[in-house]
Amino acid sequence: MENYLSTEFRRATPLFLEEARAKGRYRTAQRVFETLTPEQVVDEVKNSGLRGRGGAWFPTGIKWSFMPKEPLKGPSYLVINADEGEPGTFKDRQIMEKDPHLLLEGILIGSFAIRAETAFLYIRGEYKLAHDTLAQAIAELEAAGILGDAAFGTKRKMRIVLHRGAGAYICGEETALLNSLEGRRGEPRPKPPFPAVWGAFGRPTSVNNVETLANVPAILEKGAAWYKSAGTAQAPGHLLFGVSGAVERPGCFELPLGTTARELVERWAGGVKGGRRMKAFIPGGASTGFLPPDRLDVPMDPESLRKEGTMLGTGGIIVIPEGVEIVDAARVFSRFFRHETCGQCSPCREGSAWSDQVVGRFQRGEGRTEDFVLLDAIMRGSKQRTICVFPEAFAGPLGSAVKHFKDDLMAVSARRAAADAGSGAAAHGTASHG
Amino acid sequence: MSAAGQAGAGDRPATAPAAAPPDDLMSALRALPSRYPQARGALLPILTRLQEWRGHLTPADMRLAGELVGVAAADVFSVVTFYTMYRQRPVGRFPLGVCRNIACWVNGSEQLVATVRETLGIGPGETTPDGLFSLEEVECLGSCGSAPCLEIDSCYFEQQSPVSVKALLARLKAGAGDAAATLAAAHADAAAELRRARDGRP
Ligand SMILES: Cc1cc2nc3c(=O)[nH]c(=O)nc-3n(C[C@H](O)[C@H](O)[C@H](O)COP(=O)(O)O)c2cc1C
Ligand code: FES
Repeated sequence: MENYLSTEFRRATPLFLEEARAKGRYRTAQRVFETLTPEQVVDEVKNSGLRGRGGAWFPTGIKWSFMPKEPLKGPSYLVINADEGEPGTFKDRQIMEKDPHLLLEGILIGSFAIRAETAFLYIRGEYKLAHDTLAQAIAELEAAGILGDAAFGTKRKMRIVLHRGAGAYICGEETALLNSLEGRRGEPRPKPPFPAVWGAFGRPTSVNNVETLANVPAILEKGAAWYKSAGTAQAPGHLLFGVSGAVERPGCFELPLGTTARELVERWAGGVKGGRRMKAFIPGGASTGFLPPDRLDVPMDPESLRKEGTMLGTGGIIVIPEGVEIVDAARVFSRFFRHETCGQCSPCREGSAWSDQVVGRFQRGEGRTEDFVLLDAIMRGSKQRTICVFPEAFAGPLGSAVKHFKDDLMAVSARRAAADAGSGAAAHGTASHG
Repeated sequence: MSAAGQAGAGDRPATAPAAAPPDDLMSALRALPSRYPQARGALLPILTRLQEWRGHLTPADMRLAGELVGVAAADVFSVVTFYTMYRQRPVGRFPLGVCRNIACWVNGSEQLVATVRETLGIGPGETTPDGLFSLEEVECLGSCGSAPCLEIDSCYFEQQSPVSVKALLARLKAGAGDAAATLAAAHADAAAELRRARDGRP
């Protein structure tokens, strides 16, 4: 299957409307608006097997089918999740900075499918270039009459509201995002009610990731059967995999789901930087945790990684080279999650802080074997006891460090303790923040 | 990049704390609530615009934002404290943010922080006495594929090294008289440089 997500990624400037239309953009959306029903769009997306790229991998067509079908008393909304904050993830940014109309066409079709006349595009505050690019692209669509009171000359109204966030990882969680969109603290909401019932501004809402929507035009253009010809049976299509960390050529690579981590790291990203050996890799963003290099041949799809006790997450591989200690990398994450918990549920607020302290102990050479029991208790005591799954996220790197690198953690701690005893100094350099 | 209508680092009033938003900003702010089904939706955009203009948010800014969307000042304060990008104290003309998360850290972000410390004498949370630079460590910027990343007012400088950071700081200092233009020019050059580095590869 030819690439359909990343065709413009090597451009110096964004693909704006005139050139985009010359390449056939908006022909599919126009056909959808003029000739299809919302049910037909939802069915095609359902049949394609498209699953959400924001990390949870929920089937997109099924999510859309939960939206009200009868004209209700008020509006439904599409909310686009462009908060991209999972460490190791930088794919949505490529789409928005290089190919804004790919996303916008997906938004038009998605809005049509769920009978929404307003779409809110929530973009993280730091993505100023992406924001300005999208603002320009949306203005182009308004001028062309594609957005407005008669989208594509049909009776449908359509508008897209760009909304900037202000720096908070948790706002990527869909209900936190909705609160943030409403001008509140970005605290996740208890579910149910789910967004399809009570979403943005109290109305039925579908929250979809940027890359998810970028898949939609190709599915409607070429059909579900075409889409299913790539990827795995349960997770069809292409994914924008990221490879970052210590590799020769880091970047974003469009490949079928089920491609192995080895192919991504060795063939596409040029292998470990400087010909070093690999200590560990993270398969799909910070919350998926560490895997040892002997798992490199695992196919990168949700089911295969679940069997390994982890997740595909966002598909952002991060390579940790030999010479970097797992405990120091784990501390980068524990500090991150401690900083980013929204704090409304005590198991998460306290658990993320305690686990950061424990990892800090190992880092300073003060790790004890009973700390593994403590870490396990913290993780068990916080998972599934909170409003959102944030504890599952911080348990990813912690649990996997203990599972795969227990001896390593103890050995490094003991070595640092001995070095301290020898020198009387406490300087380990890397990422030690008390 | 066309930063249409967005105030940059250099457009801040010299007498920041006392100044009230100019008329054109006020009318832009007043137009925001109608974009949302409920006026409160405009709270973050209003705060962001105010901060882009002043460089930080004062209690008066928060009261104003609250009035514009019909929310109590205390409620606005609770929102402001939730989000890391909102600042309640002045920072430097060029607020440096160095990503400390995994991909940047593996690629030497600590050396970038050290370079800033050596060159400017400031650490995270500090501002130079001349008010030109401040430094902060930030979390993942979505630039992991071009690590390590340093941002200034959300302009990304990617694939940085101690050498490039030193050159950048010197350039910003020399052009501080017109901070916004200097930042924009430096940013454009850095983006072009990154493209050249990437195009050369297989
Ligand atoms: C802590 C946390 C952070 C998240 N961050 C993001 C994010 O940055 N971007 C995103 O699209 N989804 C993120 N998600 C997933 C969303 O909650 C949601 O599943 C997704 O936006 C749905 O879109 P999709 O079905 O197209 O994947 C996050 C979830 C959690 C629990
Ligand atoms: S880790 Fe620094 S940008 Fe992602």
